[in-house]
Amino acid sequence: MATVTLYGIGTLDEATQSARVIPGYRQTALRTPAMPLHRRPRTRSELTGPREQAGRLAQLGADIAGHGGRQAIGQLIHLRLEVVDEDGAPVGGTLVEMWQSNAAGRYIHPNDDDHAPVDPNFYGAARVLTDESGAIEIRTVKPGAYPVPDSNHWWRPPHIHFSVWGEVWLARLVTQMYFPGEPLNAEDRILNAVPDAAARAALVCRALPTSAGPANALVFEHRLVVRGRAATPAA
Amino acid sequence: MARLTPTAEITLGPFFPPRYVDTGANDLTVRDGRAARGERIELHGTVRQEGGAPLDNLVLEIWQADANGIFRDPRDPRHADADPGFAGWGRAATGKDGAYRFTTIRPGAYAMPEGSMRAPHVNVIVLFSGIMRHLQTVMFFAGETANATDPVLASVQPASLRERLVAPRDGAGYRFDIVLRGDGETPFFED
Repeated sequence: MATVTLYGIGTLDEATQSARVIPGYRQTALRTPAMPLHRRPRTRSELTGPREQAGRLAQLGADIAGHGGRQAIGQLIHLRLEVVDEDGAPVGGTLVEMWQSNAAGRYIHPNDDDHAPVDPNFYGAARVLTDESGAIEIRTVKPGAYPVPDSNHWWRPPHIHFSVWGEVWLARLVTQMYFPGEPLNAEDRILNAVPDAAARAALVCRALPTSAGPANALVFEHRLVVRGRAATPAA
Repeated sequence: MARLTPTAEITLGPFFPPRYVDTGANDLTVRDGRAARGERIELHGTVRQEGGAPLDNLVLEIWQADANGIFRDPRDPRHADADPGFAGWGRAATGKDGAYRFTTIRPGAYAMPEGSMRAPHVNVIVLFSGIMRHLQTVMFFAGETANATDPVLASVQPASLRERLVAPRDGAGYRFDIVLRGDGETPFFED
């Protein structure tokens, strides 16, 4: 039987992860289990994952800001994304899905009934595999802020959603990325549900000098760290 | 080597693009034009929040072994023998009635390195607005004798909760209802 290298998935430091129930975000109290979570042994079932399945899914490309005479409205940005594991090792060939509102804060989704206008040239979703260095460059427009319905004046700051598969089933990551210098960041009920200041800061992307990119776009970079590291062989 | 902190998980939110729940993503029985081996089953149920309201547009993802208990991942030592027609992974979204459906095959049991057995099971992830960190649970199959000794099912305490993870047979498949919180709450596992 072939020898296989197992992948190590440790325990999360709770201070670096979001609270599960958030005051002022009422759905969290209806959808978060009340019973304690059960601690299970790690087996092959959770320490394998669907990496070989990514090819089944249609790639949507990483250039979503429009083409030719059909350019999306808004501030054109390039986002340089890097996916690494807890060792800092690049996670190549992993599936990354992103989605965001348009520049006016409106999503293309049947459940978004906000008054902000739809942009006919912006769908707002990219699905791509990372390259061998764990990198993706996304060309998009900066998302707008928007008010949360029935929330007593809670506005979501500009943010981009990410879903990443990682190496194994337990490495699955769903998160959001924020922009530096946004006044709404300081009062966002979701971003501030992460207790640790460094972990919160890691959710904010970094602006690069304007010289870093093409003449017509601002450039941001961001790192996503998925769970897992090369397992240490047993002594 | 310095250890990096895993990025904080944040809710999927209410606007996961419908395009990401691709046509066919909930059918694991066809891959590269080949049909999966084994017993084809419908795995279905509803997802509800506290108070019993069904949830619309909630996303479920599953990961399971093939009919012979092999995972399509090089980390499975029997990977070379994995069924080329079986996908292993699937995604489905609930409708307004909270209902979801996967078409899959009944997974096989497999022996763990130390000799004990994992009963046939399907790993399930729940993603939705209001769920800040994705929820992990596992579905087992009614009538499997291996359920009695499965180490993951055995980790659910008290033991009276385990039956909530064992799906009864229902027509051409199995019914696995998920309650996120409250009466009949589904057991979930630490992430």
